[in-house]
Amino acid sequence: MVEGSIQGNGQPPPEAGPQAEEEIEVQGRLGLARGAEQARRALLNRPRFSLRLQIFLGNALAFLIAIAIAIALVASFHRMESKIRFLEIVNDYVMEVEQARRFEKNFFLYGTNLSDAQDNVFKAENILSRNAEELAAIMGAGWREEMLPNLHRYEQLLEKLGQQPQSDQALSKQERRRVQSQVRGQGQQMVSAALGLLSKEKTALAEVLTRSRLLLFYSVGLLLLCMALNAYLLGSRMLSSINRFGQYAHRIASGDFTPLTPSKRYRDEFTELALAINSMIEELEDREAVLVQSHKMRAVGTLTAGVAHELNNPMNNITLTAHMLQEDYADLDDQERLEMIGDVVGEASRAKKIISNLLDFARESGSQLEPLDLPELLRETIALASNQIKLSGIKIDFQASGNLPRVHGDSQQLRQVFLNLILNAIDASSKGGQIQVLVLPADEPNYLAVKVIDSGSGIPAHILPSIFDPFFTTKGKGKGTGLGLSVSQGIVAKHGGRIRVSSQEKQGATFTVVLPVTTIPAELGAKK
Amino acid sequence: MSDNLQVLLLDDEPIVGRRLKPALAKIGCDVDVFEDPEQALAKMAQKEYDVVVTDIRMDQIDGMQVLEFVRDRWPRSKVIMITGYAMMSLAREAMEKGAFDFIAKPFKPDDLRRVIAKAAHALGSDIDFEAVEMEKVNG
Repeated sequence: MVEGSIQGNGQPPPEAGPQAEEEIEVQGRLGLARGAEQARRALLNRPRFSLRLQIFLGNALAFLIAIAIAIALVASFHRMESKIRFLEIVNDYVMEVEQARRFEKNFFLYGTNLSDAQDNVFKAENILSRNAEELAAIMGAGWREEMLPNLHRYEQLLEKLGQQPQSDQALSKQERRRVQSQVRGQGQQMVSAALGLLSKEKTALAEVLTRSRLLLFYSVGLLLLCMALNAYLLGSRMLSSINRFGQYAHRIASGDFTPLTPSKRYRDEFTELALAINSMIEELEDREAVLVQSHKMRAVGTLTAGVAHELNNPMNNITLTAHMLQEDYADLDDQERLEMIGDVVGEASRAKKIISNLLDFARESGSQLEPLDLPELLRETIALASNQIKLSGIKIDFQASGNLPRVHGDSQQLRQVFLNLILNAIDASSKGGQIQVLVLPADEPNYLAVKVIDSGSGIPAHILPSIFDPFFTTKGKGKGTGLGLSVSQGIVAKHGGRIRVSSQEKQGATFTVVLPVTTIPAELGAKK
Repeated sequence: MSDNLQVLLLDDEPIVGRRLKPALAKIGCDVDVFEDPEQALAKMAQKEYDVVVTDIRMDQIDGMQVLEFVRDRWPRSKVIMITGYAMMSLAREAMEKGAFDFIAKPFKPDDLRRVIAKAAHALGSDIDFEAVEMEKVNG
């Protein structure tokens, strides 16, 4: 048994959620002409945030970050540069001072001239005053108090020491020794202060270097992160839209022609695509309407053969009666004449009834939605096919559960679906066969099921998956277009339902149409 | 048994029998009219008719079964089938199965009279169909 392997509408029916929502859904699927314009407005009536803008913003952000990194690096290099310059100055200063001390030592040891040492002290002083700005930048305004007094004092001491022994102010030997030790101490202090400064600034430079390396490292990381995030956001935005449109395509293919509605708060390039798809949907719908109508006319054609045959009976009765009335007019009494004329009148109205059902069905009518009594609709449909049924010598057995809720739909279109299933069942049945038509609540709540069961030869399992395909037919050339089930499936899908088939070879086939029930009270719906 | 042609007319449309019974009586036929094939078959099981006129399409038992029954039971009887307009293939099938002739709905009383006269001729008991024609012309 191949059971339920084919579903009319690719998807299971929506879960039985709140009923009001379902109703909106059903109406939404059918009020399409209005919906298209509404959807168009809703699609356009959103702030625009295009993919192009997102790409631009992403790149601009990356660019800004890059600029910030460059500025930070330049600033950091500048700081390093001034530190290095400072170190050079201090280094020069230290060299001069050390040179002075070497001369000072020579003076103490060998009694050489002190003027060389003074020269160096002067150069050192010169270095300091020449680079006053750089020093101030690093050490602050107090650098003079920190460096100069020591230098001056050293200079004075040297000068004192340098005075010739024979001059007036010459120092006593004792005094000289004291000055000597003072000079030595002052020189040492100066060198060690400068060296201290040097090493402190070297550490500071190393710190700046480390910091700028870290800055570079982190900012490149930030840039990469930013670009990755941008690529991720852009990619996921595009992929999600592409996926969404893929789903739309499946939905439209299954016959659901609801226009696309906004799914995001902004519009972008995909909005144009959505608009194009909406106009395609409109076009498809128009075409399907033509297809449905032409298929209906085909069904009318099939029914016409039965009607023509059935019309023969009243026609024959009228012909025979009229001829006999003409032939025997003189011999008949009034009572007999009246009886015969009554027969003619009765048969004429019988003929009219035979064709009026068909004319009703054939009449082109706009799509009108109303709450429908499904058993009544099926009774009418069976009546419509009754000539065919009689002609084929087939029994039809109709059963409906009592007290069924109504379904919301287009009676003409649904009649077309059921007529198609019944005519198919007639074709599949052999003479003396039986067709069962059942209306009952479906397995899932809030759905009704119509089953058309024939006792024909069944549908082979290998063609079962194809029977809803357009142009697929098992009937002979010129007998079937292969559009019946495809069109029926489209109609049922539009009503929010689906068609299923199950068949076992040699045991007939069962077609089940499942339709959602309406939740509008019947009186209310009828007033519309 | 009278000299009249014994005719059984079977059609599920009552008006057909009502009109054809007097029409055929005029050309000298004794007509038994049936609407229910079962009853007709029951009657034919006992009585041999010269001519059996039956509609092909009926609800319970169709004309083909009636034809087969008559052919087996009374091979001498002539069976005339009444067919619908769209059922020429069935009519042909009936002819192959041994029906004497067929007549398509809608038909005039004279159409059937003519076929019955032909059947009577084939049976060797001519009926005066022309007389009726003449009477109509004169009347």
